[in-house]
Amino acid sequence: MSTDPLRVTADWEGGVLPFRQRSGVSSEALSLELALQRLMAATEGTQAWFGAKAEAIASLRDVEAECADIGWDGADAQPVDNAAARRAEALIRAWPDDVRLPEVAAEPDGAISLDWVRSRHRVFSVSVGPRDRLAYAWIDGADRGHGAVGFDGETAPPRIVDGVRRLFVDRDAPLRAR
Amino acid sequence: MLPSGLAEVVADSEDLARFLFHSSAIAAGVVKAAAFLPGKDGETSVFRHGAHPTSSLWKIGRSLAAGDRTLRGAALVTAGAVRRTGLDVEAAEPPPRHAAIRAWPTGEDPELVKGARKERALEMARGAQLLLAQE
Repeated sequence: MSTDPLRVTADWEGGVLPFRQRSGVSSEALSLELALQRLMAATEGTQAWFGAKAEAIASLRDVEAECADIGWDGADAQPVDNAAARRAEALIRAWPDDVRLPEVAAEPDGAISLDWVRSRHRVFSVSVGPRDRLAYAWIDGADRGHGAVGFDGETAPPRIVDGVRRLFVDRDAPLRAR
Repeated sequence: MLPSGLAEVVADSEDLARFLFHSSAIAAGVVKAAAFLPGKDGETSVFRHGAHPTSSLWKIGRSLAAGDRTLRGAALVTAGAVRRTGLDVEAAEPPPRHAAIRAWPTGEDPELVKGARKERALEMARGAQLLLAQE
């Protein structure tokens, strides 16, 4: 609690919120103010994630625009497939808010690559093409593997979310193929 | 001996350069796997860098940067590192010093094939040295 007579602090799950105590203000009003501050903090959190997803989607559109011509890789690369780009966008939108978002790149066959790079030795990479299955591969130290999983356009595949989460959170549990 | 003066067989110790034309091919100073994936012909086009000065590497890269493409850099990987992933490297001239990474996995399930190819590309990217192009 603050020693400032004009300030009152209240503990809540997100930290300590300071607010000014005004004379003649009832405890009900203070409770209402605290609830309002909680709501604002939650809203700001949502906006921060929306902003991060918006940034990832903007990056996707930049890649789409930059790789719109045949041979964008200096060889025979195909333009980014529009259906693949839309599915990649759907995966970003469906991505859980508490897991790191990917970086975006184009692949020579017109697919979109979504990459989570912790270091050169710890990477999870997903290929998003026009079909309803996603190809993925990872390296995690000496462990590595690949697979394919369905994506309905609405729910991020748990296998991929789990793989990315382990890459960034659980250093001691290597990924295992399923 | 090839017209470029290089040996017909690419030695394991040779550096191979994969040119990068987009900044999205790089993340946190690391080359992404997408940079090594094969094109429509099932091959990844590379150039044998050898002991040539870096300036000659950029000269080749810029000659490939047709239109408004900008050469961002090159990923260097040894032929031996490529072969350790189960792939092969063969000289493929012309143009001079050109080579192709071949023997990528194939199969009936396109997504599983793509995943297997991506795993090998990740292995190559892990050992690759990134050179950023000088303006």
